[in-house]
Amino acid sequence: MAVVADDLALPARRFSLLTAIRRNPTIAFGGVLLAVLVVMAVFAPLIATHDPFKLSPVNRLRPPSERWWFGTDQFGRDVFSRTIYGARVSLIVGLSVALISSGLGLALGLACGYFKRVDGIVMRIMDGLMAIPSILLAIALITLARPGLGIVIVAIVVPEVPRVVRVVRAVVLSIRAQPYVESAIAGGTRNMKLLVRHVLPNTLAPLIVQSTYVCASAMLIEAGLSFLGAGVPLEVPSWGNIIAQGKTFFQIAPWTILIPGAFLAVTVLAVNLLGDGLRDRLDPRLARRL
Amino acid sequence: MSAPPVLAVEGLVKHFPILGGILQRRVGEVRAVDGVSFTIAKGETLGLVGESGCGKSTIGKTVLKLIEPTAGRILLGGEDVTKLPPGAMWQHRRRIQTIFQDPYSSLNPRLPAGTIVGEPLENFAIARGGETVERVAQLFQRVGLRPDAMRKYAHEFSGGQRQRLGIAKALSVNPDLIVADEPVSALDVSVQAQVLNLLIDLQEEYGLAYLFISHDLAVMRHISHRIAVMYLGRIVELTDKRTLFARPLHPYTEALLSAATAPDPKRRRQRRRIVQGDVPSPAKPPPGCHFHTRCPYAVAECKVTAPPLVEVAPGHHVACLRRPVGGDPGPLPVPG
Amino acid sequence: MSAILEVRDLHTQFNTLDGVVRAVDGVSFDVARGETLGIVGESGCGKSVTALSILRLIPPETGRIAQGSIRFEGTELTTLSEEEMKSLRGHRISMIFQEPMTSLNPVLTVGTQIAENVVRHLGVPWAAARERAREMLDLVRIADPGRRLDEYPHQLSGGMRQRVMIAMALSCDPQVLIADEPTTALDVTIQAQILDLMLELKEKTGTAIVLITHDLGVVAETTERVVVMYAGRKVEEAPVEALFEDPQHPYTRGLMRAIPRLDVEADAAGGRPRLQEIPGLVPILTKPIVGCAFAARCPLATDRCRSAAPPFVDRGGGHTVACWEVAR
Repeated sequence: MAVVADDLALPARRFSLLTAIRRNPTIAFGGVLLAVLVVMAVFAPLIATHDPFKLSPVNRLRPPSERWWFGTDQFGRDVFSRTIYGARVSLIVGLSVALISSGLGLALGLACGYFKRVDGIVMRIMDGLMAIPSILLAIALITLARPGLGIVIVAIVVPEVPRVVRVVRAVVLSIRAQPYVESAIAGGTRNMKLLVRHVLPNTLAPLIVQSTYVCASAMLIEAGLSFLGAGVPLEVPSWGNIIAQGKTFFQIAPWTILIPGAFLAVTVLAVNLLGDGLRDRLDPRLARRL
Repeated sequence: MSAPPVLAVEGLVKHFPILGGILQRRVGEVRAVDGVSFTIAKGETLGLVGESGCGKSTIGKTVLKLIEPTAGRILLGGEDVTKLPPGAMWQHRRRIQTIFQDPYSSLNPRLPAGTIVGEPLENFAIARGGETVERVAQLFQRVGLRPDAMRKYAHEFSGGQRQRLGIAKALSVNPDLIVADEPVSALDVSVQAQVLNLLIDLQEEYGLAYLFISHDLAVMRHISHRIAVMYLGRIVELTDKRTLFARPLHPYTEALLSAATAPDPKRRRQRRRIVQGDVPSPAKPPPGCHFHTRCPYAVAECKVTAPPLVEVAPGHHVACLRRPVGGDPGPLPVPG
Repeated sequence: MSAILEVRDLHTQFNTLDGVVRAVDGVSFDVARGETLGIVGESGCGKSVTALSILRLIPPETGRIAQGSIRFEGTELTTLSEEEMKSLRGHRISMIFQEPMTSLNPVLTVGTQIAENVVRHLGVPWAAARERAREMLDLVRIADPGRRLDEYPHQLSGGMRQRVMIAMALSCDPQVLIADEPTTALDVTIQAQILDLMLELKEKTGTAIVLITHDLGVVAETTERVVVMYAGRKVEEAPVEALFEDPQHPYTRGLMRAIPRLDVEADAAGGRPRLQEIPGLVPILTKPIVGCAFAARCPLATDRCRSAAPPFVDRGGGHTVACWEVAR
């Protein structure tokens, strides 16, 4: 009988919510903030105090008060309700861009990292795509089709995909050189299984982190596009649209710009904090430190 | 007729290109392995010893077909696998397994230990379902781990335990040959002894052959039957271990042996003969005998003629111009 | 011989996610002027942390010297200001590390790095410092030192870089040189060259060397006295001949029997004798160790070993050992 060598195995760590928050304050803070915004967007009809589309010429440009918490705009629409609804647009754009570009990026990145022949061709195409500014692409697409959420998402996804591909490809290349992958090959593991079992799970952590950054940047670009009139249709309450419409009256009604602007900033901050926190948590080299 | 050797390597060459310039053109090559031949018989341990950059690890990876050889032949049990594409190579992988040096990076951090060890069993459809679990449990026990550790992840094991996992994995498909690349050099002395003993026990139990790669002469002498000493991509001496340590013929072997430290303070006063200088770069190996730049016995011809590996005595191969067949095995005179 | 460095009851601890790690747990030893002291032990035994503690290089965010005293030429180092420590490091006490590439600045030439150290500590003009750097390279037997001065670390081989590190460490005539696994990353033939060089320079300069290593062969060949550490504690201390001839602590004995040896004749058939194993694993340092740290793996352990830490027993001739069974 062989000597049992694991008499003193290392202790397993217990999970506890409190220590999790203490160790990852940025994830907790960003996550809670984002959760609040998502709840706000989903339950917008219940939270909104007024109909966001209802014009009320009598109540134009009213300052914040008990009745209009964030005041009204030049058409007498309630800024609070519009801002709440605006969260929907931002979050839909942010999340769908993040999901679509991660999906495409993962597939292309895996292919590039894994098959040398694909790599050369796809990476050159990616370099080309990266050179297209999303604002010009959006303007060009709008001239071809009716403006709408779909166009905005496509216009943002196209230049974001190459960024994700690069991250995934770099990770796949580094994982392929890991001894445990060589060990699996030597143990008779074939291509598909190697990809699914050994390579893919290890790319997910950096992919998640990258997609939070993509999400944050998509929300900013969406606001920019809407502000320039190349985004979602003018009548849809998005933060970019609210700011764009309020800009003429900035001096007498600054709330029409500052409040949606602040929401946009806080949302992007929340997503970025979440991304930073996840990066620190998921990177084992950083996580090992205190 | 005797059975073919478990592994035969003939004239193996592996050159890595050095790319340079904007266009990444080939500007040179690293001659990692430069014409190496050896065989390993069933149940035998062949040690490959040499300093960093001598090509010993490259040989291991080439033999495993993790990298493609530039030239030469690799025969597994008499079958030529040199040119086999990955798909055809796959079925031969059952016969040749590997244990890596670094017990930390050679186990996938995201898989439970039982899955890692059982993977080759699944790959070759040797066992499935509950049967796999049972086989893995047996393997765990055989290498000295508790079967209930199957659910743990790599980071929950110590270095020595991880190396046991690697051994269990290699053992799972009943290979003929295990390539062990520095399997104990990352381990502490007390754990190293446990792993070396285990490797020897397993060899005797299953009739395994080992290609054992190490820079540590003491470990090498402990585990090997025959030893090949490598210098800059070539084997300079190949013989059974007793002869190698008792009567080394190649000046480089002599230098290696004299440089090794011994845990005995009484020996320190015996002045060691130490070769001077560094190992030349394998991208620019010296002409002739690669060792002539550091060799105290080198003569003019050593700088031009590369010595072939010749059998100077039964089973004793040496690549040195000053050690001809039938020559005096005594100390070499230092020239002029 | 008087002690130049006195370490007394040193405790160094690190805060980690798993709790407080007692990396060094009450270690005492002396280093005499001009002697070579070996500190030997396996990974995690606290030998490197001891070295870093002496130089006060424990990262303050995670670790601290919790207790104990380190006296260098009578000066207490644990309470010195960071500024005072800086003027001591690389001057009176210097250190070389395992991987010379990471301790040399890749963007400065070798000559500049040595000369800067000389200027900082000795305050000599730059030209004199350059000359000193050239002398030092010559001393560590680097061929053509004048040309090597202007080379960058990446242009040198591993052995040469370690020579440069030694040159830099000795450039201000330190009283103590702490060498942490100086040859572990080097090839066998280069290791032999560097060890010989260190011993030769010690004779020339009279610098005391504290050599930290896991390699019993290196200890046997280079040191005069040896401290054996296990799990953050000193378990045995002896002159090198006594330690290898008559190891007292069960751990030291276990280590000596566990290593494959080149110097002992193998049996005639070329067989493979079994190595003696030390069963089990090193204890986890986050839990306070009651009794002897080695008790869990020791073949001689009794209940007393598991309940009370053994005292140091003097076996004569400077050979002390912390073991209840030896004491009996």
